[in-house]
Amino acid sequence: MTNDSVRSSVNGCIVEATHVSRIFSMPAGPVTAVADVSLRIAPGDHMAIRGPSGCGKSTLLHMLGCVETPTAGTLLFQGSDVATLSDRQRSLLRLRQIGFVFQRFFLLPMLTAWENVELPQAEAHVSKPERRRRTQELLEYVGLGARADHRPSELSGGEMQRVAIARALANRPGLLLADEPTGELDGATGEQIATLLDRVNADGTALVIVTHDQGLAGRATRVLTMRDGRIESEVQS
Amino acid sequence: MAFAWRSLVRQPARASLGVVGVAAVGALLFDMLLLSQGLVISMRDLFERVGFDVRVTASDALPGQGPLLANAVAHASAIAHLPSVRAAIALRLANAVVQKNGARGQYTAFQGVAGTGAHPWTILRGHDIGSGPDLIVNENTSRRAGVQPGDRVTVRAFCSGDTQALPPVPFTVTGVAEFPFDTPNGTTVATSLDMLANTCGGNETGEADMILVAAREGTSPDAAAAEVVTIVPELRVFSNEQVVSRLEGGGFTYFRQISTVLTTVTLSFAVLLITVLLTVSVNQRLGEIAALRALGFSRWRVVADVLCESILIVGGGGLLSLPLGALLAAGLDRILKRIAGIPADVHFFVFEPGALQVHLLLLVATAILAALYPIRIVARLPIAATLRDEVIG
Ligand SMILES: Nc1ncnc2c1ncn2[C@@H]1O[C@H](COP(=O)(O)OP(=O)(O)O)[C@@H](O)[C@H]1O
Ligand SMILES: [Mg+2]
Repeated sequence: MTNDSVRSSVNGCIVEATHVSRIFSMPAGPVTAVADVSLRIAPGDHMAIRGPSGCGKSTLLHMLGCVETPTAGTLLFQGSDVATLSDRQRSLLRLRQIGFVFQRFFLLPMLTAWENVELPQAEAHVSKPERRRRTQELLEYVGLGARADHRPSELSGGEMQRVAIARALANRPGLLLADEPTGELDGATGEQIATLLDRVNADGTALVIVTHDQGLAGRATRVLTMRDGRIESEVQS
Repeated sequence: MAFAWRSLVRQPARASLGVVGVAAVGALLFDMLLLSQGLVISMRDLFERVGFDVRVTASDALPGQGPLLANAVAHASAIAHLPSVRAAIALRLANAVVQKNGARGQYTAFQGVAGTGAHPWTILRGHDIGSGPDLIVNENTSRRAGVQPGDRVTVRAFCSGDTQALPPVPFTVTGVAEFPFDTPNGTTVATSLDMLANTCGGNETGEADMILVAAREGTSPDAAAAEVVTIVPELRVFSNEQVVSRLEGGGFTYFRQISTVLTTVTLSFAVLLITVLLTVSVNQRLGEIAALRALGFSRWRVVADVLCESILIVGGGGLLSLPLGALLAAGLDRILKRIAGIPADVHFFVFEPGALQVHLLLLVATAILAALYPIRIVARLPIAATLRDEVIG
């Protein structure tokens, strides 16, 4: 699960945020979701972001994942300024370098587990035999080798999230972003997902997880706490 | 495409509604297209089957309503000698009451022909007219007046300009024929031009309503028409094609206009229906779409999926619309023809490949147009905000 291109990237850093802010202009006035955050994520990092609801965790994660653009500051992804990339280039970057895991899974309900995992590979024009091999490998990796032909509706929440993790890893991203990945799961199932994410990180993928889950955050080597759009503290272990 | 198909069958009821809607609208659309050209095409067919390529008249009036053509018989024989002409006949139109020994008279159209070439009718029973007081009748006349080949009848003619009652003239029915321009209930009888003139009082010898000209094998109707003009410059000479295009420019344009208006209205409904269906479907999937975008699917890819769904719905409906439209056209044609007194061989709805092409083109346009609004939603979808809304909402 390593990504050599990421490993050897220019300054040894996948994402580098420098004084980034995100302000939403709303009818009632501007809302500052993220204020002046500087942050570097290196290959293999295992980071958790915590903080009260509305403090800007998701917005920061979305900026790191290049689906949201900062209104101030610069965001470098593997050395290139995300602001200068076209929508198409950003899509390609997300497709090949970034994996997303969502609280609500967002699997496609009409596709089987297998097809859900295969989909991003097809989008990346991976050859059919390679796709087959990779999908099999991933489903086994997340412990669902026997459930390949099941639709999301036939899977439990934990199983759906495992398929979603396999899907996020499909194109061997160097960075996996997860927004409350255990938010919809019970404690024991959440624990299983946490263990799986641990393994993903141990196998070489940098991980940034937004979570309220104490157990999940506790496994990270860098724990960021946010408040009112700012980083209040960072604890390394 | 496969992906779009899977998205569609997720909501089978909705997809079916779209397909059925397009099938119904498409059937109407197809019929409008058949209607817009139908009369013109079947008139052209009819002219071609009658076997004459050029008609010569004294004025632009409809056949039988304009002034008579003087010296028509002489003109016809002169025209028949032209190198590009195979045959020419003079045709005079009148009306008559045909009566068989004291029975009730039958009112009929009355034609007289003179000249070379086949007569513009097809003998079904008996034989064609000779030079004497011979009469051929169509099936309707045969049935209603109770006349058969061999019967003796009297004919009282009503000729152009004459208002006074003319004395009955005895004829012998020689055959039953089919006249190409007969309406389904129309009654027609025919004889030679001389006998018709005789029945009309004998004071209009050699006059006719029109001369019908057949071009020689390998000569174009237009070339024949051009040659005819040179010897009768004072007369109106039209090839069938020119007659048809005059019809197209005249009363037949109403059909085109009506069908254009109805087509537009019909298509607007189809576009609205598909737009609504796709928009509802897209709005239900915003979270999934945003997730796909976050996972790196290009904007074009998610847009193409919506377009494919539209094409699948419209394509499915479009396929169904063809047999449906054909059935509907056959039914409507029968109804319309019962109302209007037009030749039995003329149809309001006529199939031609061009109609199919336009149908296809309009359906493709419908699919694209209908997809525009949902495509806009998908293309402009803010990824981060949608992901956030989906979790909060
Ligand atoms: N798309 C948006 N439009 C307007 N306000 C937003 C948007 N996204 C986030 N916000 C605001 O920014 C702040 C941070 O939101 P978010 O990043 O979702 O917080 P968290 O994930 O920590 O709960 C909140 O006040 C929220 O209302
Ligand atoms: Mg959040």
